[in-house]
Amino acid sequence: MFNLSPAQQALVDQPFSQRIWLEGPPGTGKTTAAVARLRAALENGIPGDSILVLAPLRTLAQPYTTAVRDPALPSGSPVTIVTLGGLAQRNIDLFWPYVAESAGFSHPELPPTFLTLETAQYYLAHVIQPLLEENFFDSIRLDTNRLYSQVLDNLNKAALVGFEVNTIAERLKSASLGKPAELHLYEQAQECALRFRQYCLENNLLDFSLQMEIFQKLLWPHPAVRAHLSAQYRHLFYENVEEDAPVVHDIVSSWLGEFESALLVYDRGGGYRAFLGADPLSAEQLNPACDQEIFFNDSWVVSPAVEALRATLEASVRQQDFSASPLIPEALEFNFSRFMPQSADWIAEQIRALVQEQDVPPEEIVVLAPFLSDGLRFALSQRLQAAGIPVRSHRPSRSLRAENATQCLLTLAVLAHPAWGLTPRELEVRSALQQAVEGLDLPRAHLLYSITFRKNAWNGPGFTSFEKIQPEMQERITFEVGRRFEHLRGWLMNYLGGPPVELDVFISRLFGEVLSQPGFGFHNSFDNAAVTARLIESIRKFRLAAGAALQDSGRSVGQEYVEMVAQGLIAAQYTQEWQDDSAGAVLLAPAFTFLMMNRPVRFQFWVDVGSRGWFERLYQPLTHPLVLSRRWTPGKVWTDADEEINNRQTLARLTNGLLLRCRERIALSVNAINEQGSEQRGPLLFAFQRIFRRQAEAEGGGRV
Amino acid sequence: MFNPRPSQVEVLNYESGWMGVSAVPGSGKTHTLSSLAARLIAEDRLAEEQEILIVTLVNSAVDNFSSRIASFLRGVNLIPGMGYRVRTLHGLAYDIIRERPDLVGLGTQFGVIEERERSRLLMSSANAWIRANIELIQSLTRAETDASTPRFKQEERWNKLVVEVGSAWIRKAKDLQLSPAQIEEALSALPERPWVVDLGCKMYADFERALRMRGELDFDDLIQLALEAIQRDPEFLARLRHRWPYILEDEAQDSSRLQEEILRLLSGPNGNWVRVGDPNQAIYETFTTANPQYLRNFLRDPHVRALTLPNSGRSARRILDLANHLIEWTLEEHPVPELREALAPPYIFPTPPGDPQPNPPDTPNNIYISRKRTSDEELTGIQNNVQKWLADHPHQTVAVLFTSNSRAFEFFQNLVQADIPCVELLQSSAATRDTAVLLHHILTFLVEPTNIKKLVSLYTAWGKFLDQQAELNQNLPVPPEIRQAAAKALAACNRPERYIQPAAFDDWLHDQEPHLPPPVLTDLALFRERLAHWAQAVSLPVDQLVLTLAQDLFSDPAELALTHKIAQALQAQGRFNPEWDLRDYAAFLQNIAMQRQKFLGLSEQDTGFDPDQYPGKVLVTTYHKAKGLEWDRVYLTGVNNYDFPSAQSFDEYQSESYFTEPRLNWVAEALQRLDAVAQNDLAALFMEEGPATQEARYSISGERLRLLYVGITRARRELLIFWNTGRRKNCLQALPLAALESYWRSQMEEDPHAPSA
Repeated sequence: MFNLSPAQQALVDQPFSQRIWLEGPPGTGKTTAAVARLRAALENGIPGDSILVLAPLRTLAQPYTTAVRDPALPSGSPVTIVTLGGLAQRNIDLFWPYVAESAGFSHPELPPTFLTLETAQYYLAHVIQPLLEENFFDSIRLDTNRLYSQVLDNLNKAALVGFEVNTIAERLKSASLGKPAELHLYEQAQECALRFRQYCLENNLLDFSLQMEIFQKLLWPHPAVRAHLSAQYRHLFYENVEEDAPVVHDIVSSWLGEFESALLVYDRGGGYRAFLGADPLSAEQLNPACDQEIFFNDSWVVSPAVEALRATLEASVRQQDFSASPLIPEALEFNFSRFMPQSADWIAEQIRALVQEQDVPPEEIVVLAPFLSDGLRFALSQRLQAAGIPVRSHRPSRSLRAENATQCLLTLAVLAHPAWGLTPRELEVRSALQQAVEGLDLPRAHLLYSITFRKNAWNGPGFTSFEKIQPEMQERITFEVGRRFEHLRGWLMNYLGGPPVELDVFISRLFGEVLSQPGFGFHNSFDNAAVTARLIESIRKFRLAAGAALQDSGRSVGQEYVEMVAQGLIAAQYTQEWQDDSAGAVLLAPAFTFLMMNRPVRFQFWVDVGSRGWFERLYQPLTHPLVLSRRWTPGKVWTDADEEINNRQTLARLTNGLLLRCRERIALSVNAINEQGSEQRGPLLFAFQRIFRRQAEAEGGGRV
Repeated sequence: MFNPRPSQVEVLNYESGWMGVSAVPGSGKTHTLSSLAARLIAEDRLAEEQEILIVTLVNSAVDNFSSRIASFLRGVNLIPGMGYRVRTLHGLAYDIIRERPDLVGLGTQFGVIEERERSRLLMSSANAWIRANIELIQSLTRAETDASTPRFKQEERWNKLVVEVGSAWIRKAKDLQLSPAQIEEALSALPERPWVVDLGCKMYADFERALRMRGELDFDDLIQLALEAIQRDPEFLARLRHRWPYILEDEAQDSSRLQEEILRLLSGPNGNWVRVGDPNQAIYETFTTANPQYLRNFLRDPHVRALTLPNSGRSARRILDLANHLIEWTLEEHPVPELREALAPPYIFPTPPGDPQPNPPDTPNNIYISRKRTSDEELTGIQNNVQKWLADHPHQTVAVLFTSNSRAFEFFQNLVQADIPCVELLQSSAATRDTAVLLHHILTFLVEPTNIKKLVSLYTAWGKFLDQQAELNQNLPVPPEIRQAAAKALAACNRPERYIQPAAFDDWLHDQEPHLPPPVLTDLALFRERLAHWAQAVSLPVDQLVLTLAQDLFSDPAELALTHKIAQALQAQGRFNPEWDLRDYAAFLQNIAMQRQKFLGLSEQDTGFDPDQYPGKVLVTTYHKAKGLEWDRVYLTGVNNYDFPSAQSFDEYQSESYFTEPRLNWVAEALQRLDAVAQNDLAALFMEEGPATQEARYSISGERLRLLYVGITRARRELLIFWNTGRRKNCLQALPLAALESYWRSQMEEDPHAPSA
């Protein structure tokens, strides 16, 4: 086990009758101490089921989940580890009869259906499409899938910040500098939200916003529910308080007095999820309700050089005065190239040298960019793999549709279900084969597919047997590939011979019985396994939410799902819950994703430093995360100064967060010309330019 | 090192405030402006977060400026490229919107519609309008043309006209900052409306609806919305003003009203704004909302310090003299008073003695003005002449300029058939096609990786591309016999997978070792490496695939920018055609490659073109595309009263529809009425047709005078001017050419040998 510092040990040893506020910057050992305290609680005989571990995101609760699985702990009832949304859902399910009618559901006698973000989007599309034909949103340039997600975003903000849905438009309008003619868009967005809410009530559907509202307004105040929750949970561990939303803080605030003990962990400088409603200031209101505050200030992670760089960069980003530090060169490396491929070459070579010459474990290295485009991911992973270095990438907000693994699985699903009447595109079949069969290169995949695939066979599209093709051709394709192909084909034929199963079940069998086996493409692939898991989860939730209605209309869930994915309506985006299983591999990820993994590394590479993506928020014409927050004074106009302050704040928070999770060194890679052929001069680059100038001046050279 | 002459020094001494510089052709304005930017940066006038903003007309100039400034600044900066930003006006507008899209109701991800898609939208909307107005169209069609013209041809003509009117209407409406709804509202009181107005309104509304559904902007929106963004939020404007304390603008004569307004706002009344341009070279008025009048007004503004760069070392003195006479004649003798302002001083002066760029010497007969010829005689005459000349001047450069793409292309094909070395710079530029051709071949390979014929074509295209790159970078290309041997060997490979992805102990290339010379083997090994890399990229989404290929192949920002546009176009196609796969994308690229589709980006010229890279070859291009370029010998063609009218009663105009009754310039008629709507002068909508057409004749004739001026000033040593009698053999020598000819003869008579003053 870890050796705890005296301060950490003192926290663990606090009696379980204390409500403690634990505060400090990242990397000071707060979570480690909190987890140790949880273990101490269980070891001291506190029953697991009386402990509630609350986190804004399941990923952030990962260390707790891992800890309670330790077989060395006394066995007993399980600890509850949830987000408040998860708790809300469980309790609505449990107490449905208490709230179904008062919440206004048309069929309180029937059970509720909980929607995920994507199933909510699916139903929202049904509501909005007729409105689009009535010329809703006629003066805005926005594709419909983005429109849906912004309407949902508004609903979620209302629930998380705590205002009525019918005040969304007024809030947005009063902050906007837009022309009056444009302001009616907000009215229309609100109208969509209201109609969707109505639709949900009529059909017993609960999207995230409705779950939160019902929990906050109806369940939590209900004496029976309150009594149940208070009786069940006696001890609270609340991780990353600052990443949660105000309504959650409100609930915890009124609950806090009822716990025998509580530990609230507050990461100073956090609040990275502000665009999703996180509010560190509202979190701070929980501090006075605690019996004592404990502060951790000494970093276990960063070297003095990294700390010097962090402080300097923060000042530079905030456009404050700062002076050069002799330590900085130790923590900062810089490379300038004209084009991205040269940058990628440089990064790959640096990483190779670290891993192969200095024995740095690959998982101690991350490559971070504001966005990780397919092209960039391809360029980097190609080069690293060529050097024999394992890589994995993580892009949770990426659409499932764009993943090759998804394409492969769904194409094979279509082939296994001729009754759907769908025909895959031919090159998709080739690509599915390439994904599925390990070691199948492009020319041989082409030969195999063009000879064995029959698009218009009498019993639907499918493959003919490898055995039936000419021996010469078999030899060209290679017998090894042929054997694997036959195995896959045999599996599909076998499936076709039996009764069809649900799509998620089909995929999980295909994955488990064939694709994850040695000789197949998903074997030992972190990324493909993760995508498959997300896909199965997405289909399962879609089936639970929409299956019954579809069955009534005689459509198959699988077919509907495949078609919705093709339209981009189902994207499985925002599935922000993931496991960090990057052991043994260099991680490529968007910077924000890495922060949410909350783990330090030795080396960070920052790519595309000139991009504005490091700095600015995602602009969405129908919503505004800062205006729809408690920090905003209603009626005030959002101006450029607000924008600028907010962006600088966000950038400073981001660079602080990254550097506090870096032990030794960051390496910057700047490419003058981006893939669009234009020059980039984002604020992060300016901030570094200022540092370089100061350093050069301090070294006595004036300008270099 | 840049050694400025006195007039340039005056510009370089700029300190602050508004300054306007009229620069004659060849006066080194780009160089002067880059040098000024570098001086301002090096003098530490900028705070760390500030930049000099340099605005120019075309993308190719962006890189030109950047590399020049970078060369001046070598050693001053820590991160290269900091301290200045070079953008086209559209690029600048994009940056502004991209920074605060929320101010104009946009999200972070907005697209810009590609030119080809724009035309397609306009075509379909035009078709709809025509179908709904068949009777009207019949009543407007001139009876005598109707009888003799096949039906499909009639439809084609009308389609073209309707698209032209609609497109111009949309562009102008955006320039006037009027939305379709605002125009409708202004017209709501009217019981009926003239057909051109109806057409404009309907097409504008259709077009905007289509753009909205796609979440896209067009190029005019970029300008309009950028202006709107800085008008809306004064704090945003203040922040940008702070960021760009100096604005240097090149080619200022081609700015439109809104473009000028953006820069005026960014500069602010007390800001620092240097505009350099040549109103005499404004040749985009007819196609865009650009107007040289804005620059002229600026130069006359009492707050503006107006300077000239009058010296040019580009041309021999007689050629300068002829260009100057064109200005003088226009100013003082043009028979149409309305045209006398079409060209204006400054006159061009040769460079002073001792200047690093002395004017080339005059040679005997270095100006030639042809006699009357028919259209065919003109082409054959030039062809024979240039062929003879090339034999004697293999190290000099020569260009033949045409007014239209189609005629230029005809001439180019004649040259190709006659085996005369030649290069063309036409509608979709050679670079666009080369880029698209190569990408098309790679995609085709990825679709059918085992098709040996396609593999050989890809090899050939790739080899050609690499050899061109090598030539441009002054490296040795692979000798043609090596390429041919490699292609021949590949063509005989009957199991391509043994070459592309050899299995252990079964490598085709290895088997070839005894049969092929080492350089061929090396080249095939290199090609295989590329193939393997491309094959691995096949699973990327098409736009990312194309970008990855581009990063692999190109190292010129302009080519990357172009590929990025191609990638965006492919992505957009994919969005609207979800059933498309690689095969369809390959076909789409082929269309671009075959020049069937006009493919424009942020500006007309996308990739830099350097004439000096093509000595000993005939460059065929248009007058418009030749702007900014120069050659030792230049042929101007088609200088008759059809291509260069002068508002004379006997002149004819391409822009007036001969197949309609009345025969009018309908674009001009429509735009005049749109102006009336903007001024809320509804009565003017119903005025008799005609005055707008007449007005347009002046502006067309004026622009053509400037086009002739641009043509003349492309020549360094020798200038040959041709004209022809046109398709119906009734065209006359253009009026300004007649004036130039008589001037030139009088000069020759005075002293045929002396260089002119």
